[in-house]
Amino acid sequence: MVKKKVAKVLDLRYVVLAGILIILAGGLVLLPKYEKHEGIKPEQLLSNVISPERYISTDKLADILINQDPSYLLIDVRDEESYTKYSLPNAINIPLKKLLSEDFEAYLNQDQYNVVLYSNDNFYADQAWIICNRLDYKNLNVLKGGINKWYETIINPPKPTENMPAEAFELYTFRKAASMYFGVAYPEQFKAPVAKKVVPKKVITVKKKKKAPAEGGC
Amino acid sequence: MGPLIPNGIIPQDWDSIIAILIGLVFGFVLEASGFSSSRKLAGIFYGYDFAVLKVFFTAAVVALIGMYYMDYLGYVDITQMYVHPTYLWGAIIGGVIMGIGFVAGGFCPGTSLCAVAIGKVDAIVYVIGIIIGVFIFSELFFLFQPIYEGYFMGNITLADSLGVNPYWFIFIFTLIAILSFVISDIIRKRNKKIFY
Repeated sequence: MVKKKVAKVLDLRYVVLAGILIILAGGLVLLPKYEKHEGIKPEQLLSNVISPERYISTDKLADILINQDPSYLLIDVRDEESYTKYSLPNAINIPLKKLLSEDFEAYLNQDQYNVVLYSNDNFYADQAWIICNRLDYKNLNVLKGGINKWYETIINPPKPTENMPAEAFELYTFRKAASMYFGVAYPEQFKAPVAKKVVPKKVITVKKKKKAPAEGGC
Repeated sequence: MGPLIPNGIIPQDWDSIIAILIGLVFGFVLEASGFSSSRKLAGIFYGYDFAVLKVFFTAAVVALIGMYYMDYLGYVDITQMYVHPTYLWGAIIGGVIMGIGFVAGGFCPGTSLCAVAIGKVDAIVYVIGIIIGVFIFSELFFLFQPIYEGYFMGNITLADSLGVNPYWFIFIFTLIAILSFVISDIIRKRNKKIFY
């Protein structure tokens, strides 16, 4: 009797398996859909945001630009108008609003270059950095202080006062030299041409030796 | 988390070793389920044995449903899965040739090697035929090249090319699979018993 019952149940095994498949497939259709989380995890993003590792100082950037390091890519996230007015040399303009458009993805989503993002301050550049970092783009940096800081430190460096340490003077000379590289002229560069003293020609008479007459004789 | 190899959880260097292991298991299961017999394989064309249809259709459906559940639960990223590129006419013509070879020889390439492993003479002849075919194809590749490399559709899935929701597609696909099993069972029962 038991065997017969088991056999009866087992007869249905293919029907049961087919039912399981249909239920599972139907479950996929009925499951509530949710927006998939793209990019890195929120915890990772938070710890990245807190870390100041992304910042690059204006002095470092000036050094990079002067040495013409080819591995750096400058990206200006301000709008086009500000970009055409003034920007850093060889920078690419990617306005923050168009950051995720496909035209610019190749610049941001790569691991060949170190990308430096900047805006007027580091505020918008930080926003761009967070968006890109969330998408797990690599090698992104933010210029600390942005163009304003660049102007204050590199283009128009403050002169150190006398009571400052020697490092401040060294930094000043570096910044001054850098600003000269970026086209700033200093008054002391243009020294008035020193009038040459006219030195009267001194005539030195060289007495010619008289040929001594042959003396004696043989 | 997954797929395991592209995300570096298993190093890339292991993939050929894993492939060999999976291949061994695949061959063993093929042999164990009788797929090294050309009579069993050809049964699908004469309507007395639908094991091939059932096994491969079930495998596809189970893998599909399982994969999408894993994707839903976040264990596997379905967008990172390898999708085989589609060369439309190359696939159609190749499929027709493969089908004719299947009916005529009673093997598909995988099962023929499986049958060679247990020493079937017809399978050995079949594999020699495959090798001759490969040789002809390679020698005349310049003739086939436009078809081989043309009509490229990209790495698309069936759901992509039809433009339907993949979840609904899976559901309908499952229904079609089960329907085909039922129909194949009816056909098999109508046929008189054939011993093979």
